[in-house]
Amino acid sequence: MNPARLLGPALALTALLGTAALARTLPPPDPEPDPLHLALQAELTRAWELLQAQPEPPYWLQVAVMDRRMRSIQATHGATGTWRDDRGRIGDVDLRVGSPELDNTRKIRDAGWFSDVPRARFEVPIEDQGGAIQLGLWRGIDDSYRGAVRQLIRVRANDAVKVESRDSSADFSPSPPQVELRAVPSVELDPQAWTDLVREASAVFLSYPDVHDSNVSFAAEDQVRHILSSEGTRLRLPQSFVRLSISASTTAEDGMRLDVYDYVDGASPGAMPDREKTLAMAHAVAQRVTDLRKAPIVDPYVGPAILRGRAAAVFFHEVLGHRVEGHRQKDEDEGQTFTDKVGQPVLPAFLDVVDDPTLARVGGVDLNGHYRYDDEGVAAQRVSVVEAGILRGFLMSRSPIQGFGTSNGHARRQPGAAPVARQGNLIISARQSVSYTELRRQLIAQVRAQGRPFGLVFDDITGGFTFTGRVTPNAFNVQPVSVWKVFPDGRPDELVRGVDLIGTPLTTFERILAASDQVDVFNGSCGAESGWVPVAAVAPDLLVAEVEVQRKEKAHDRPPLLPPPLPATTKAEVR
Amino acid sequence: MWTLLLLGVALASPSSSVLVQAAEAELARATDLRLPDSPPPYLLSYELLDGQVASVEASFGALTSTDQGPYRVLRVEVRVGDYALDNGNFEGSFGERSGTTQRLLPDEDDVLALRREIWLATDEAYKGATEQLSGKLAAREGSTRSFGPDLYRVEPLVTEPVEWGEVPAEPLEELVRELSGRLVGRGLEEGRASARAWQGARLLISSEGHRAWIPTGYAVVRVEAVTRAEDGARLRDVRSWVVRDAASLPEREQMGAEVDAMVDWLVGLQTAPVEGDYLGPVLFEGPAALELFRQLLAAEISGTPPMELPPEDVGEGGQVPTARIGRRLLPLGWSVVDDPARAEEEGLAGGYTVDFEGVPAQRVELVEDGVVRRLLMSRVPRQGMEGSTGHGRSLGSNRREAMPAAVRIEPARPKGEGRLQKKGLRLARPTLQPYLLVVEEMEPPAVSEDFQVAFSGEGPLPGLTRPTRAWRLYPDGRREPVRGLSFVGVDRRVLRDIVLAGRTEDPVGVMDAAPGSQRFGIGTLGGLPASWAVPAVLIGELELSGSPGREQRVLKMP
Repeated sequence: MNPARLLGPALALTALLGTAALARTLPPPDPEPDPLHLALQAELTRAWELLQAQPEPPYWLQVAVMDRRMRSIQATHGATGTWRDDRGRIGDVDLRVGSPELDNTRKIRDAGWFSDVPRARFEVPIEDQGGAIQLGLWRGIDDSYRGAVRQLIRVRANDAVKVESRDSSADFSPSPPQVELRAVPSVELDPQAWTDLVREASAVFLSYPDVHDSNVSFAAEDQVRHILSSEGTRLRLPQSFVRLSISASTTAEDGMRLDVYDYVDGASPGAMPDREKTLAMAHAVAQRVTDLRKAPIVDPYVGPAILRGRAAAVFFHEVLGHRVEGHRQKDEDEGQTFTDKVGQPVLPAFLDVVDDPTLARVGGVDLNGHYRYDDEGVAAQRVSVVEAGILRGFLMSRSPIQGFGTSNGHARRQPGAAPVARQGNLIISARQSVSYTELRRQLIAQVRAQGRPFGLVFDDITGGFTFTGRVTPNAFNVQPVSVWKVFPDGRPDELVRGVDLIGTPLTTFERILAASDQVDVFNGSCGAESGWVPVAAVAPDLLVAEVEVQRKEKAHDRPPLLPPPLPATTKAEVR
Repeated sequence: MWTLLLLGVALASPSSSVLVQAAEAELARATDLRLPDSPPPYLLSYELLDGQVASVEASFGALTSTDQGPYRVLRVEVRVGDYALDNGNFEGSFGERSGTTQRLLPDEDDVLALRREIWLATDEAYKGATEQLSGKLAAREGSTRSFGPDLYRVEPLVTEPVEWGEVPAEPLEELVRELSGRLVGRGLEEGRASARAWQGARLLISSEGHRAWIPTGYAVVRVEAVTRAEDGARLRDVRSWVVRDAASLPEREQMGAEVDAMVDWLVGLQTAPVEGDYLGPVLFEGPAALELFRQLLAAEISGTPPMELPPEDVGEGGQVPTARIGRRLLPLGWSVVDDPARAEEEGLAGGYTVDFEGVPAQRVELVEDGVVRRLLMSRVPRQGMEGSTGHGRSLGSNRREAMPAAVRIEPARPKGEGRLQKKGLRLARPTLQPYLLVVEEMEPPAVSEDFQVAFSGEGPLPGLTRPTRAWRLYPDGRREPVRGLSFVGVDRRVLRDIVLAGRTEDPVGVMDAAPGSQRFGIGTLGGLPASWAVPAVLIGELELSGSPGREQRVLKMP
């Protein structure tokens, strides 16, 4: 049993009162005073003390600043833009009035369409000038406070008017204050080298006449998250995200626009591919676009399929991951597929699923979903979601749900949004696995057994989406880049295009038959109600007895009417 | 120091030959564009905007953002049909394409890369133009209306390449730091300064024979301050400077002094009374007079007809007419002239010799003896007008429309400030208020927070933005600042009720867009430069309503 489940609301309240008292205790001195922290702390302390005298004082106040430096360069058709070096800071205020059992953040049930309280963001200069920082924060806290008091009035009335919620958990759980001030490393980049690389890689596409448009870009984002709270939390968390991406597109003769996007994400420039690998990636993308342009369209189909590692990872992120995010379990507008399934089988017994933001790398690959503390200042924790197919737990923010009273460090947000429970690194592992060759053999056996003309292999994907609410069908859509038909008679695999993988969660999970011993990593960004956050998913290849594909949305434009202008050295231009 | 920094800037070498080579090569190929059963393009036009831009912002003396670098964007316009009837001037349903596309271009001078971008943009524009023409023909099917031509012919323009200077961010950073730093310690809630400088050229190459380099440039600085009145009302003021380039900005001391005066005013306003419902004479001075004319007059002198709409979007009433020749707009004896070329000679914001469509700018005598006699025109035809007056401009990929550029308004018999005040007080005597309301400043539309006015901007009778600096002038000469004012039911007709006017003041630069709601959406530093020279005016009767604050802050300022 998850120890968190032992925490009841009463204990949560007691613990929170204890943490509120901590607000009067000054955090330990910073060995190297950070001017940003000094200004934020000064205003946070001042505002907190002043607001305690209000009739409805806040019981929790957190200030967060996201400091971003983005250096980037991109190229198209062999020519580059300009090396950019952009810096920006955004400030967030999270403030709670009422009590941990019922506060202003509680969802208003049956609310009107435009009744959301606007969140207060505050302007933070990129220069550490205390007075300007403090003024911005003062406005942010004041705006937040007045909005919170107004919202609490509505929450209380809503609670009185509506029937009792199915999940009557409190609104906020205790968590010990955290202090960690990590040194901000200086990430050195050679703008000329990256400019030369993206230009050279971009020029690769000029020798592929079927590629109409393309882009090669390098971007290095150095983030520093600063979090300070009335509980005494003080965090300075530097983290870098680096991406080399290559994309190309064309329009097929039937009007279908085909985009292929490949990229490498890492936590440092050193994780990026070298010149040879980058050029090889560009050629591979160009060739894939060329091949896809000629590939036949596959009709809607039901049958067995293999989801290769990245496809399987996205599949799990969409289908399982979003449905085990804690706040969805008490939101009665949500589908709540798994809310009552703790302790019950939800996946085949050979599969385990954890979400582990503490993990920085897998098999030499940096994971996008790694972080040390979440956006409520809680230390990230490894969460066992599914053990041997049995559902064990949920991803939790500090908003408790029935049976899960505390956070496990999964509150995440894009700056400007309110944090909710989100995925970090979702890792799917198999207790029993077979080689990929064997998995393919099993696929063909399934094709034969089901009397299908072919099976499908979903090789790579661009992304996907899912609906978790009750109004829309509780379905998912995974968008593959390339899909292969695998024939039972030994014919070579055939690349096809024009389909998305669709389905509903419970039905699809029941049909997972086997996993391979190879795992792959999907690094990306996930968008949901708290904005876009970096995530990773790791999964083995999976054999599924039955998947359904539907026709992909498509444009109808003719391909470009004139041939592309080509370099003089490759081919005479056709007029 | 300011001047020295700017003088130290090296000239950038424009990549004229590469851009021309790429555009000409693709223009030559594009004449072969053909869709089955559809007309080929009869006109192809490439605009390549190439230049350097720096944008910076600071809050209370500390930078919040800074950005500097090259900017290169391509606008392709393809027209199918002919000058009499083509795809232009028609706005299809939401999301439908037109014959105009825009793409960012690589900054490197690579002919092949530029050609590929032009190739893709041209292909999309041709397909869009074909769809747009079909939409237009379908919309006209069965119509009993008669329609005029779609495009004026013009003489092709050929000019030599031009050069432009680099636009360093550092001097602008220093400037906004200093100006916003002056807002510290004055009890202001918000205090920011932002600036943008742009220098570059527009290369126009078309199948009509245009091969023209048109220089462009401006610098805009805005300082915004916000404080709160005792009753919680949000009090906001903005100072703006719009000039030809950063070197033409006033001395920093002068700008600083103007910012200080703005803050002094705002601080004084904290305890000022809220104006009640006012009905009486109003004296518009300085920047407020400029806004009065700019907001009420621009649509009346811009001759571009509105875009044709599908019948289902128009309704029974049809589209509302805008500018009209022969309409009395101003009192007898008044004149309005727009002369961009003269402004260019004088180095004013809004000055140019050739518009975005390659048409030489003409001096247009718009209003004579108070009556509209001519209109500003782009290449979009209008019944009764002979051709473009060289006023075709617009933002981004929008249709090039007639936009005021360098307007000068001359009253019949200008009077001194004292006469205006005296007359105003006399007019106020029979009203309930024993004072004259003087408005010295109003929110520029670009930074207006008055959404009611912003959303009324499409029709011919737009309202006026709120006064930010107004006072009561009492018969004994006493001046009392008032706050919380908004105009009620104001439209162009009030201009005919001008009782007296002062002398036309020096031209002042503004950032603007074509008349309509676009003006409210250009952002703090966006838009196109223009200049207006206007007199102070006394209007016999206007209505204003006052609104007090609703909510005070809970926390004291740190």
